[in-house]
Amino acid sequence: MLIPVMTVIVGIFLVGLFMAFMQSLGYFKAIGLTEITLKYYKEVLTSQGFLASLGFSLYISIISSVIAVILGVLLAYSILISNRRNGIEEMIYKLPIVVPHIVAALLVYNILSQSGILPRLLYSIGIIEDQSQFPSLLYDKKGIGIIIAYLWKEIPFVAMVVYTILSNINDKLSDVAHNLGANNRQVFFHVLLPLIMPSVFSAFIIIFAFSFGAYELPFLLGPTTPKALPVKAYIEYTNPNLANRPYAMVINIILTFVSLILVWLYNKSFELISKYDR
Amino acid sequence: MRENHSKIFSIIMYLMIFILVFPLFILIIWSFAKSWPWPDLFPKEFGLRGIKYFLDPTSKSLSALLCSVFLSMTVTVITLIITIPAAKALALYEFKGKKIVEFLILAPLIVSPVAVAMGIHLSFIRLGLANTFIGVVLVHLLPCIPYSVRILKNVFEVTGEAMEMQARVLGASPFQTFINVTLPIITPGLVSAGSLVFIVSFSQYFLTFLIGGGRIVTFPMHMFPFVQSGDRMMASVYSVVFIITTLICLQIIEKLVKRYYKSGNYFFIN
Repeated sequence: MLIPVMTVIVGIFLVGLFMAFMQSLGYFKAIGLTEITLKYYKEVLTSQGFLASLGFSLYISIISSVIAVILGVLLAYSILISNRRNGIEEMIYKLPIVVPHIVAALLVYNILSQSGILPRLLYSIGIIEDQSQFPSLLYDKKGIGIIIAYLWKEIPFVAMVVYTILSNINDKLSDVAHNLGANNRQVFFHVLLPLIMPSVFSAFIIIFAFSFGAYELPFLLGPTTPKALPVKAYIEYTNPNLANRPYAMVINIILTFVSLILVWLYNKSFELISKYDR
Repeated sequence: MRENHSKIFSIIMYLMIFILVFPLFILIIWSFAKSWPWPDLFPKEFGLRGIKYFLDPTSKSLSALLCSVFLSMTVTVITLIITIPAAKALALYEFKGKKIVEFLILAPLIVSPVAVAMGIHLSFIRLGLANTFIGVVLVHLLPCIPYSVRILKNVFEVTGEAMEMQARVLGASPFQTFINVTLPIITPGLVSAGSLVFIVSFSQYFLTFLIGGGRIVTFPMHMFPFVQSGDRMMASVYSVVFIITTLICLQIIEKLVKRYYKSGNYFFIN
């Protein structure tokens, strides 16, 4: 029963990673490289450009995922508390899933570029007098445009995951806490938050891993330097000099390595969830 | 006190929803704007240039859209076919190495597709799969499988195997059981798994771009240069078309699945 799926997973996924790994070690028969060496790893890991890219990718993913999780939980809790739930949660759930990252990049560009809607609004109420007074949030070294585009996609995702759990938690738990004299804040932090924590954590891992390994948004909204790791890997990959390939593959393997640590954490978080369930 | 509390959160909710939805309104306005110079808050003139360009056969956008829909529908059907048995096995049976299999099926969701695609590219070129429709379908399966397996696995965990056992006891063949019992039971799961898989495949850019090598031109690839160059009007038109096409296809998937299995929720408690 598992054979068809596993054929695809092993045949494409594992073989792909294995080939990348061999090439990262300098084994690349197509151009006559057959010597196994750690030379490329040493070179990449000591290069300033790579370290800047690694730092930039980690920074984007950590900041966007942390903020997405906090605001996502806030949104889910707000929907739960305000008793007007007429299909709103369904709309929020569908909205970001249907809109791809390329369009998310455009949305951010429409609003926040120096000729976007926000600077126009600020101009019309007189806060700024010229386009150039609006800070350039896109293509900047702080990656604000990328982070906001990820937030737009991720907040509803986190909210939906958390809302599903929150709405299934028995109301009696909160009522008991209220009866015993807890205020709303205490109920949230001491009763609800511990119950949703495992799912929040696994949502965090998913969005972190996605933003860490994705190409589109940093390519469309990122600065020239530093480039995010997936963008850098692709640039090395398309270098016409094939002898450059191992460098691209080293970056890929490091990307994968970070992701694997995440998968491990993800599984751990599922063990936690099942513990809370019982 | 409680009244106040819920009022504050209502405001937070509506504010956040507004921030999330507002950019989409701007997107729609932009797609009809003919000229919208700084610092106007509304376009000076409206026009249909973008839509005309999209519909113009020389832009090949319509054929790219059809190619995209066909590709993603193919990916959806194949993914559902191969993940139904896998999800059932993972939900209902215990076997050796189950943990590893679950881990491997989940892994493509987390490991960067950029890394996998570049690693497999050379093998695809050798096998003659690069720059072909089949090659792109195969590589699209990777990000789709984890979603489909997870959703269908949940469904099988809820429904169990009792109904199928009953059918077998009453003399149905395994095939009859599958068609007449299993599929109707898991219909709701099939709709949500199919929809999600379609969306994942339909919005793929990098995998198509690398493995398709510019030969297989999907709609996101047509859209990308407009976003990249900051041509807001054209990019907005293409984005709106993208979103509307997705919504229509999701309706079609739901109708198709439900037409064959009208039974809906008779057994499956939602």
